[in-house]
Amino acid sequence: MSISNREILAPGSFSRHLVSRKRKSATRKKLLIAGLSLTSMVDMFSLLVIFLLQAFSTSPELLAIGKGVTLPAARTGQEIKDAPVLAISEEEVYLDQKLVGKTSVLLKHPAPLMHHLAQLRELWQKTHPTETFPGEINLQAHKELSSAIVAQFMAMLPSQSYGSIQLAVVAGGT
Amino acid sequence: MNIGSGSDKGSRRKNLDAELNLVPFIDLLSMCICFLLMTAVWIEVGAVQVKQSRGTEAPATKANQLDLTVKFTAPSVIEFTLKKQGKLINRELLKAESIPLLLEKLDQSLSKVDVKNVASGLVTPKTGVSYGDLVSVMDMLRKHQIINLGVVPTGAI
Repeated sequence: MSISNREILAPGSFSRHLVSRKRKSATRKKLLIAGLSLTSMVDMFSLLVIFLLQAFSTSPELLAIGKGVTLPAARTGQEIKDAPVLAISEEEVYLDQKLVGKTSVLLKHPAPLMHHLAQLRELWQKTHPTETFPGEINLQAHKELSSAIVAQFMAMLPSQSYGSIQLAVVAGGT
Repeated sequence: MNIGSGSDKGSRRKNLDAELNLVPFIDLLSMCICFLLMTAVWIEVGAVQVKQSRGTEAPATKANQLDLTVKFTAPSVIEFTLKKQGKLINRELLKAESIPLLLEKLDQSLSKVDVKNVASGLVTPKTGVSYGDLVSVMDMLRKHQIINLGVVPTGAI
């Protein structure tokens, strides 16, 4: 059994007005429904994914910036090379993300650092028996650290055949 | 008009044009974009190359080559020296209130130098001078095409 609006509502101008308003609003709602073009959206997303994958796959992250290290900025920074990373913070020194010791202690007694550097060099020579050791090392140091301390660490490196030091900087900074 | 079947039965067949459900595809792509943006490294890390002089053999110098030394004597004071085969050619004491102003003065002094003949640039740090300032000076030298740089170690800690 179907009951129409006219049967429920008592005859009168106000009720008729309500019913007509409801019908009008219903028609208006229908008109507002618009179809979303999903194809162009998918195209855009696909292009974004391809762009992001290409942009970040070409520049591999060779350096993981250590804890407590804020790199200084330089405009003439070159492309970084794959080499062992010596990170010097105000408190600790890390070689390839392994803790070597306290900064203040290593300045007075650098033997543990020398030992680790020699180990890395020997490992490289074992894996590259026909090549000469390039002596490259990446040095990360906190920008607020005293330059004299960093210079002392830099002076230790050539004794273990690490003569080519690459100071890690934030490229394009001021 | 029914072209495929040629009979009345063909019109009863279901429409073969299937619609691909794009919603999970969009979900996947959105997740991919979010992941890539979140895991991306936005800081570009570069390197300033330094050849350490102590402990390694000094390169052979030509007769007309110049040796440049930049020595920090105080946090914002630089002694700028130019030598030719050990003989002093130019010495300047650059003073400024801040490091950016000091770098400007160094820039002016370096612009007067014939950089083609500069064999090496040595920077001497000092206690009280931050590593960031040392790198800024080296960056300035590199800006003037003085690429063969070295840092002179100092005993003070």
